[in-house]
Amino acid sequence: MPLQTDGTVTENRRIKSLYFALGIYCPSIADRIKPGQFVMLKVSDDNSPLLRRPFSVYKSYPEAHPEKRKRGHLFILYKEVGKGTRKMTSLRKGQKVDLIGPLGNGFTPPPLPSSASSILIGGGMGIVSLYPLVEAFDTGGLFVFIGGKAEDDVMCVEDFRKFSSDIFIATEDGSLGFQGTVVDLFLSQKKRFKGEGKYYLYACGPVAMLKAVAGVVEIKKFVSQASLEARMGCGFGACWGCVVKTNHPKTPYQRVCENGPVFPLENIAWE
Amino acid sequence: MQNFDLTVKIGKIVLQNPVIVSSGTFGFGGEFEDFFDLNHLGAIIPKGISLEPRKGNPPPRIFETEGGILNSIGLQNPGYKEFIQKKLPYYKGLKTHLIINFFGNTEREYIELARRFESLPGISGLEMNISCPNIKRCGIAFGTDPRMAYRLVRAVRKATTLTLIAKLSPNVTDIALMAKSVEEGGADAVSLVNTFRAMAVNIHTKRPELGNVIGGLSGPAIKPIAVRMVWEVSQAISLPVIGMGGIMNAEDAIEFILVGASAIQIGTANLINPRTGIEVIQGIRKYLAQNKINRIQKLVGAFG
Repeated sequence: MPLQTDGTVTENRRIKSLYFALGIYCPSIADRIKPGQFVMLKVSDDNSPLLRRPFSVYKSYPEAHPEKRKRGHLFILYKEVGKGTRKMTSLRKGQKVDLIGPLGNGFTPPPLPSSASSILIGGGMGIVSLYPLVEAFDTGGLFVFIGGKAEDDVMCVEDFRKFSSDIFIATEDGSLGFQGTVVDLFLSQKKRFKGEGKYYLYACGPVAMLKAVAGVVEIKKFVSQASLEARMGCGFGACWGCVVKTNHPKTPYQRVCENGPVFPLENIAWE
Repeated sequence: MQNFDLTVKIGKIVLQNPVIVSSGTFGFGGEFEDFFDLNHLGAIIPKGISLEPRKGNPPPRIFETEGGILNSIGLQNPGYKEFIQKKLPYYKGLKTHLIINFFGNTEREYIELARRFESLPGISGLEMNISCPNIKRCGIAFGTDPRMAYRLVRAVRKATTLTLIAKLSPNVTDIALMAKSVEEGGADAVSLVNTFRAMAVNIHTKRPELGNVIGGLSGPAIKPIAVRMVWEVSQAISLPVIGMGGIMNAEDAIEFILVGASAIQIGTANLINPRTGIEVIQGIRKYLAQNKINRIQKLVGAFG
């Protein structure tokens, strides 16, 4: 059950290059949001841009959180890429923003007790949506693959270090870590995942990346979930604007906002 | 607070207020129940229904332009059978009027659907979509040729006693002529405008922004054209006119009412602010109070 509510901006700072962290005090959503769910943010009071923008939530802290300054807060990481995100960079502390959330279906955690291992693969900003998984769930052994075009596009590495020492970094230009895509890097390390039992794989990133992941994981060995990015109209299931083609026999075009954004990887019909 | 008479009559339907939520922008209604009490609306028009299920168009289906949205959803819907089994029972719990938007690929399909909806309880009226820009076979010919439109409406009219609204396309040279044709055909009201055929190109990929290449433009960008068309139509026919096209707030709604719309529809704005419908009702009430007008009907066509 999503809410439409006002939040208060508590910080909006540049992390590096075109990347920003936006903190919003919004306890009604922060209390309920689950890993993989998202919010729709109205980034301006006027019609420019017209539509809300979808954002996955990077960190959220319920009202009951022990650290007072974090209580009831949501944090969004965003990259300044277009009109909407450019306007977002001018949001100031104390300003109100109109939010709808929590939206969509989040990730399914690995089964407990977790003797198995989890693998996270994030491309670009995709890694941000995967971070709440490690804070909320017992992921068992954890392997994190983070990719970006260049060093500046590699996000959240320090956050993941608190949970795992098996962090692998790829950049397409080779400015940091492995040179190539994050899927190339995963393939180069795949021999690690030869053990008995299943691996729980979570992926988020551009369509081309997710398609590449789908092409290299065996369904029997890797239980894979993908969180999809899509242009959205409403974000709450009303417009059918954000569909993705799936293997669903009757309704191949499923709404990313309502039926996803997390789908079993093998359900996506890649084109 | 003073009591204002917001009721308007469209065919046989008496709406408690002139605010209707538009087909294709309000899902099947339930998507909005967390945001406000749907019973306050004048009427709900769920997503358009066809005889058979429709898969819709390939993505991307939506692209934002300056002050507007291009879409090519392609009328994806579960079809008549699943609609009445799975969606229709939901509206039983609502007090607001239910108007069904429907369309066919052929005249026979339109007639068949009108006949079937006629026999179902809980439906106040039918809105015939003769104007969707997103399917190739259906709307276009019916919606842009006055003689075809006349013929189709006349045939559907014979198949139903329910209030029949013809939803007009703006993609014509003379929309008043289209309105006259459906009036002669026996429609009880007209609604306009549907979206404008439009497209956008990504200059980096040199590809269209929509999977279907061409889509329909809606939102504030089209409002002045829609206002002009509603004005022209309301002068040309004696049927009630339902105006729409980029209504974002009560001020926009009042503009349409002033040029002759008896009722209005909220479309694109539902996607951005799901509470637009109820906020428009409140805003209209406020405007009437400020201007010391006791009945909304006094505003209809009060322009000029």
